[in-house]
Amino acid sequence: MMENSSKTIELRGFLQLDAFLKKKFGTMPVFLEIDGPISGLELSKQLEIKRDDIEVIFVNGFVQQVDYIINPGDRVAFLPPGCPGPYRIALGFYGKNQGNEANFKLKKDT
Amino acid sequence: MQKFIRIDMATLKHEITDVPEKYAGLGGRALTSSFVNDEVIPTCHALGKNNKIIFAPGLLSGTSAPNSGRMSVGAKSPLTGTIKESNTGGSSSQMLAKMGIKAFVIEGKPSDDKFYVIKLDMNGVTIEPAPAEILGGCGNYDAIRILGGKYGSHVGIAIIGPAGEHRLPSANISFKDPEGNIRSAGRGGLGAVLGSKNVKAIIIDETGASKVPVADPEAFAAASKVFAKALLDHPVAGQGLALYGTDVLVNIINEAGGLPANNFTGGRIDYNDNFSGETLNATITERGGDGKVSHGCHKGCVIRCSQWYPDKQGKYITSGFEYETIWGLGADAGIKDFDTIAYIDRAMDDVGVDSIEVAVAVATAMEGGLIPWGDGEKVLEIVKDMANPTPLARIIAGGTSIVGKVCGLYRVPVVKDQAIPAYDPRAIKGIGLTYATTTMGADHTAGYCITGNILKVGADIDPLKKEGQIEYARAMQIGTAAIDSTGMCLFVYFGIADSPAGYQALIDMINAQYGLSLTSDDLDELGKNVLRVERDFNKRAGFTNSHDRLPEFMEYEPIAPHNVVWDFSPEEIDEVMKF
Repeated sequence: MMENSSKTIELRGFLQLDAFLKKKFGTMPVFLEIDGPISGLELSKQLEIKRDDIEVIFVNGFVQQVDYIINPGDRVAFLPPGCPGPYRIALGFYGKNQGNEANFKLKKDT
Repeated sequence: MQKFIRIDMATLKHEITDVPEKYAGLGGRALTSSFVNDEVIPTCHALGKNNKIIFAPGLLSGTSAPNSGRMSVGAKSPLTGTIKESNTGGSSSQMLAKMGIKAFVIEGKPSDDKFYVIKLDMNGVTIEPAPAEILGGCGNYDAIRILGGKYGSHVGIAIIGPAGEHRLPSANISFKDPEGNIRSAGRGGLGAVLGSKNVKAIIIDETGASKVPVADPEAFAAASKVFAKALLDHPVAGQGLALYGTDVLVNIINEAGGLPANNFTGGRIDYNDNFSGETLNATITERGGDGKVSHGCHKGCVIRCSQWYPDKQGKYITSGFEYETIWGLGADAGIKDFDTIAYIDRAMDDVGVDSIEVAVAVATAMEGGLIPWGDGEKVLEIVKDMANPTPLARIIAGGTSIVGKVCGLYRVPVVKDQAIPAYDPRAIKGIGLTYATTTMGADHTAGYCITGNILKVGADIDPLKKEGQIEYARAMQIGTAAIDSTGMCLFVYFGIADSPAGYQALIDMINAQYGLSLTSDDLDELGKNVLRVERDFNKRAGFTNSHDRLPEFMEYEPIAPHNVVWDFSPEEIDEVMKF
């Protein structure tokens, strides 16, 4: 449940970020206070999450690109690369990931 | 020269011939579906003498190509009444290919009640009475051990559990994996078809078989190397499936609001951490013992999405512990204890039932008042009862549609009487279109493969909106039908979708093996032809576009947290299969 604070976000990390955040904060989800709107990228830097560890973020259940603005009260999750392929398309990761140089992209040759 | 084997259970005789010319260039699903459409009377009863069941390795099975050990099984489904192709890992597909067996067919029906074991080896086919100790309630784990003792630990085994002997609509066919555990051709009740032919098990002994012939070994080896690199370099193999299994999807789909909960009345739960892929990994790692975070279901698998889940003492409980099973028991049926879910998964493997169909049937039965919500111990008891089925066990193993009718429910999550798995169509619309239109009844694996066509529309796809979804569902089903014909695990597409070189390497391997010059367009056309054949069968079985629909409740019951309904019109849905 969301904690009742006007400055709090409810934060999760998936795949390896699950263990990372649990180790860092001792719980999942993490209830984190922010001073105001902040981009997902900036938040990830504050949390010391590597850029390569983020393909997209979820904000309130919607898939967003990593620099999407997060507001107090939001439910946020960082998702690393590793989600099976069809769902990356079906859930809109591909569409939100077009300009993200740090993450793997469709059409990228090996 | 490859062999085509027919076994007539009415006479207990068999025939080994050259492969009919029309099937020579086909493998896997393309072969099984073409055969079923050619030879099975579409209106026949699926458990009657006129149904036939066919087993076929894929085009690349038995070679050194990574992840090419899948086997297709085809027949008319007793669950859906449609054509059915169900495929599996395990050792049997590679063995059959090395033995030069293109396919084997079991037809007819004995006049008595005896069960038989069929043995395929390099000397031909033998049919003998099944040992009494593996009949009448013996679970698959024990039966595989007993058959291994009799025929040797090296043999491949396909077997029906007690549920198949009782011809229950959710009965599957289990296949021994390299360690003697169980993989399954799960969906559509094909275990009941094998049971109706009184075939308890099929033994495959490759002793004396040679390597699969490859027309251009050097080209094959080069393409195989590129293909393996494309898989291994991809994050989904290295970071996703190998560490967290398919269960990695629990948290992701939950966060997207598409995790069906409490018989499809919600799209998100708050106890997902109990059984997420991340928890799966942490639990196996912590418990040690027999536990393995990563495991391949057949030789040559480099993705290794399977795992061995141990109990608190480190003793093996189950393997191939898939997202859809965990979702069904955990989120849809509200069973919150991971170990209980694991024991139910093992019990389902042991009695031989589809763990998706039964999990969804359980949740539907909970809504119908037959089982208390979230009561895992009661569910475990009912599943174990399927070995010598009580009336309640028969109802649950009858599948979700039957449970819905027995309980007088309108909220029955099925398409063509097959349970909808793990991804709510209201919140993930593209998958909903696949559920509606696939020839198989609701099946997430019918639309799994990303092709070049998808990339053209992928940038516009929003899971909650209609734009691009028709093209998505169409292209995914065409691509899947093609890959199901190669013997490749569908998960290879997770890797090669991002790698044109990897995709080309897949085609190059087929070309090198058979001395062909196929292009990606040819593979695309193969997929289209498979779907045309399957739709032709279904049409002659009495299915029309009106059967390509999701359950009506999804049109007027919004699902939280996004509060969306299924809003595609019949005309829009019918566009998916226009190609």
